[in-house]
Amino acid sequence: MRYLDDFSNIFKRYDLDGEVTGEAREVSKDATLQEIAKFVVEGDDEGILPVVQKALGSKSPIDIINDALIAGMNEVSRLWDEGVYFLPQVILSSDAMNVGIAECEAKMGKSMDRKSTVVTHTAEGDIHDIGQVIVNALLNANGYEVVDLGADVPVEKVVAACKEHKPVMVTGTALMTTTMTAFPKIAHQLEAAGLAIPFICGGGAVCEEYVTGYDLGVWGKEASQAPEMAEDATAGESWESMRGKWNG
Amino acid sequence: MARKKTTKMAYGSGAEMMFGTAKYPVTTKRGIEIGGGFVHPEVVPHPRPGSEKTMKTLLREYEKANGDALERMVVVGHPTLQVENEHVFQMTHNPKWGGEIAAQTAKQMDDYLEKYGLKASYRSTPADLRKPDMHHMRTSDYTMDILESFKEVSKYADVVSIESMGGKEIFDHAIIRNDIGGILFGIGVLGAIDMEWMWDQIVEICKKNNCIPGGDTNCSEANTAMFMAGGMISKDVPHVIAALSRAISASRTMVAYECGATGPTKDCAYEDPIIKAMTGVPISTEGKVSACAHSDLASNIIMAVCDLWSNEAVEYHDMFGATTTSVFAEILGYDAAMLNCSLELGYQEQMKEILVNSDMYRDSHSLILAPDNAWDIGNAIVSNRAKSNYASARAGAIKAGQIIQGDAKMKLTALEKDALDKAMKDLDALPDAEGDFIDQCLDKYKDVKGFNPDSYGL
Repeated sequence: MRYLDDFSNIFKRYDLDGEVTGEAREVSKDATLQEIAKFVVEGDDEGILPVVQKALGSKSPIDIINDALIAGMNEVSRLWDEGVYFLPQVILSSDAMNVGIAECEAKMGKSMDRKSTVVTHTAEGDIHDIGQVIVNALLNANGYEVVDLGADVPVEKVVAACKEHKPVMVTGTALMTTTMTAFPKIAHQLEAAGLAIPFICGGGAVCEEYVTGYDLGVWGKEASQAPEMAEDATAGESWESMRGKWNG
Repeated sequence: MARKKTTKMAYGSGAEMMFGTAKYPVTTKRGIEIGGGFVHPEVVPHPRPGSEKTMKTLLREYEKANGDALERMVVVGHPTLQVENEHVFQMTHNPKWGGEIAAQTAKQMDDYLEKYGLKASYRSTPADLRKPDMHHMRTSDYTMDILESFKEVSKYADVVSIESMGGKEIFDHAIIRNDIGGILFGIGVLGAIDMEWMWDQIVEICKKNNCIPGGDTNCSEANTAMFMAGGMISKDVPHVIAALSRAISASRTMVAYECGATGPTKDCAYEDPIIKAMTGVPISTEGKVSACAHSDLASNIIMAVCDLWSNEAVEYHDMFGATTTSVFAEILGYDAAMLNCSLELGYQEQMKEILVNSDMYRDSHSLILAPDNAWDIGNAIVSNRAKSNYASARAGAIKAGQIIQGDAKMKLTALEKDALDKAMKDLDALPDAEGDFIDQCLDKYKDVKGFNPDSYGL
């Protein structure tokens, strides 16, 4: 087998050419809070617990949540947005943040306030839910309450969950074209129930043309868009407005 | 048939492997010898949304989709075609549906053989409906549906296959955390255990119905890793982690052949070059012509040792040139003709070099699928096969990592390099004995949503 030495006329390595480097910035002048944030940035869900427990002896839980855990997570989001971090680093950081938040919530005796609620599901007949798992993790990491309905969820169950939890938006994931046909049914029933919330649909074979073919539908190209879309929905943007911004 | 572990490589080197020829060819009902000297096209039609509403509408959809592909073979003069139907949910959930569609397609193929002399074969692939975190892998109603589906379709199909799901609950947790130990447990241990349980039964069903037990694919895990790794600008999963997942998947997927599957392997198993090196069964692969379904960075290199050349799946629609299944069957057939001409002219080594050089250093995942490297990974797996599923999968992953780290032409970004260094360190630190590793994992992953060790007899 002969091998070429120079591949420059065969392919171009855009990943090498466009490589981005960067480091986490300091998020707090307070040494204790900065140390906690560092555990979040490094995604260390084992090491963070004793540090948070120790800090709770001298600081309020809400300060630790806002100025260390969430501040650290915001720094992780920045690094991911800039292309420095991979998704797994974001997930690990989210895991670490959640360990810290759970400890602080135990101390407070109540759950921290979340920005708003989002219902997520994978379509009936479809078991390919890793996209939804990522959406859940990213929404959670960004401060949203996630009502995770899981995979293979019947239309009626999605609608019932929306009636119960009154989310700012609902998401649907489908890999197969033969299962995404549940989406317009959900949209129709939500609209009939007076819940005209943005219905973000994405995954696999789900395409913009299909999703924008029914009311409420907003096509989600990437799971990574979920937090920003939730931000729009929380700010009160309608599904029409969000479709105009994210699609077309 | 009890599983017989593979402890000797079928091929002596990667250089020995060639497209069109396998050590152990198989012959279909209408006389296609797969792996017998030439490459054959395999087209995979997929029904349009809505056609799955009733058996009648789905039968009609497949009649047109499969029939159009057969017709196009005659129109442009391609001598052979394998058609695969990967079941949509309804076809397996209602086993009679899959059986009726298989019977209909077999009749179409008989008609084309009689009228034109076209040799065609049919692969039916029941859907693995078992989602490990939702269903018991061995006792759920869905499990019964799948086995019943195999009984129905194997009466008419030439070949059956499956994309089994064992270990996916752990894999999904691990892949988004760069957790190579979890990936090894999900694919290499749980996946292998589940495959052995499933394939013993599939092979027995096939024997009763004179059907070829084709093979399995780690589509639900290694392909998930590959698709999440994506192209050159994606930041979802490091490509090196996807490459290690692929090496691990070869150890898992080989269980089918150890249980009596004979190939042709399943097209979307990008681990198939490693499978061919280890077992000598004919393989089906997919590359550039599967861009209709997904993108990859190994589109030509994956053709280098194929016996069937596939397109993964294309939804049935109209195009300018005809319907999609006609168009893609034609493209696949012309690709096969190109490869077969190179064989007839004695240019096969040059063709193989062209295919390999096209993609080998495009991506680390492509690098490990180059025939020489695939053979090395297979050899690492086979050399450790007698020890355990775990030991062989781990050895395959370590060899793949060493290949990537040891090839100066394989350039990695700093993030990729760091991810690989950490994964190799983690692999090295794992226990040697499978029992110790399983105990460690049962504790570590006990809180993973829906993980039920009883599904795997653990």
